Amino acid sequence: MIQIIYHFLVLYLTFHLIWFVIREKKFWNQLSGVIVLIMFLLRLLLIK
Amino acid sequence: MKKHQATAFLLLLLAALVCFFAGREFLTMHEEEAVYPSPHLTIKKRLSDYFPGLKNSPGDSSVYIFEGQKMGGTLLILGGTHPNEPAGFITAVLLVENLEVTQGKVIIVPRANNSGFMHSDPQEGNPQRYSLSTPGGPRWFRYGSRLTNPIHQWPDSVLYVNPAGQKLSGTESRNLNRSYPGRKHGKLTEKIAYAIMQVIDNEKADLAVDLHEAAPEYPVINAIVFHENSAELAAVTLMTLQMEGVDIRLEASPPNLRGLSHREWGDFAKTRAVLLETANTSHGRLKGRPSATLIINGKDKNYMKAAQLGLLFVPFDEDGISLKQRVSRHLASLRALVSGLHELHPDLCIQLDNLPNPIEVQKVGIGPYLTPSK
Ligand SMILES: [Zn+2]
Repeated sequence: MIQIIYHFLVLYLTFHLIWFVIREKKFWNQLSGVIVLIMFLLRLLLIK
Repeated sequence: MKKHQATAFLLLLLAALVCFFAGREFLTMHEEEAVYPSPHLTIKKRLSDYFPGLKNSPGDSSVYIFEGQKMGGTLLILGGTHPNEPAGFITAVLLVENLEVTQGKVIIVPRANNSGFMHSDPQEGNPQRYSLSTPGGPRWFRYGSRLTNPIHQWPDSVLYVNPAGQKLSGTESRNLNRSYPGRKHGKLTEKIAYAIMQVIDNEKADLAVDLHEAAPEYPVINAIVFHENSAELAAVTLMTLQMEGVDIRLEASPPNLRGLSHREWGDFAKTRAVLLETANTSHGRLKGRPSATLIINGKDKNYMKAAQLGLLFVPFDEDGISLKQRVSRHLASLRALVSGLHELHPDLCIQLDNLPNPIEVQKVGIGPYLTPSK
C-alpha cells in the first residue's frame, strides 16, 4: 500500500517537473529542473 | 514550437539519456557474482526455505550446507551481514568453494544481507566491484553497503525500536546486526534477521559465527566478540590463536547492547554466538581515495600517519592490512573455534577438510583457492 502511495507521489512530482521544464522560459531554470527530474525518474523506476 | 519549448524537449531527451546510462550502471549493482560450490556441497537452500516470508524478496539469499557422514556439531557461518566488509564475505565464499565436511554439519550464508549488496553508500565513492585474480582469470565481487537498500526498505523512522527493545537512530532499522531476533511481519531487515534465527533453530546450530570487519580506528578489531554462553570457547580459541602467532583479543558481548548477533543469537536461539572482527582500511573514515586496490591491499598513507600518532587499535605500516591477511585471520579464527568446540564438547566435533590453510592464504593469496571463472 505504502509503495503505491509513494509511487503515486513520485509520479505526480515527476509530471509537475516535466510541465515546469516545458513552460519555463529561462534556460538555467529549465536545466535545474531536468537535473532534479533525473533523480525522480531513477526513483520512479526503483533503480536508485 | 517556441524556442524555450524546443530547449525543453532537448533537455528532457538529455535527461532520458542520462537516466538510461546511469540506470544501466546502477542496475549492475543488482547482479550477483558467481559462486562455484565445492563438489562436496550437500545441498544449497535459500533463506526463504526457512522463512517463506522472504520468498521473491531481495532479502532472500543462498544457504550452503555441508553435511558429514558422521554425526557431530553444527556450525553456522555468516558472511556479508555488512556488505561493505569484504573479508567476511570472501571468507564465506572461500569456504563454500573449498570445504569438505566429513563429520558434523556446516551451514554458510555468504550474503546474509543480500539487499545491502544491491546498492552502494551514497557520497562514499566506493567502487561497485573489486576483482581477485584466480588461475583462470579475474573474478569480480560486489562491494555493497552496511545497510539494506533503501529502495527495498523505507522510509526510515526518526527513531528505531529494534525487536530486542533497544532505541536506535532510524537508519539502524536497515542494519541487519541491530535487527535480531527479527520480526516475522516486520521490515525487510527484520525479516532477514528472523530467517537467520530460523536457520539457527531448525538446524540446531551449536556454534554460530558472524564474520565482520571494522575501521582500523574502531576499538573492537582483531577481536572475538562472544556471548557469555561461549566465554570458555572464546578463551580456548584465543589461546589457540595466540599459540599460532595470531594476535587477537576477547570482547564480551555487552548485555545491554541489544539486537546484535552475538547477543540475541545466544539469548533467543541458545546457540554459542561469536562475532569476529578484522581491520578494514577501505571501511575507515581516515582513508584517502576509495578504490578497488584499497579494498584488496589495504594500504593507505593516512592510516600510516594515524598509526604513528597512536590513534589506531591495530599495528599499521606501509604494507597495509590486505584482504588476504584479513581473510587468513578469519580462517584461522574459525579453525580455532571449531577445534575449541571439540575440545570442550567432544560430541560436537566438526571435521573441516580442505579448509584453506590460513598461512598459505597469507602467502599465496585468495585467488588460488577460488574456482577459476568459467
Ligand atoms: Zn560489521
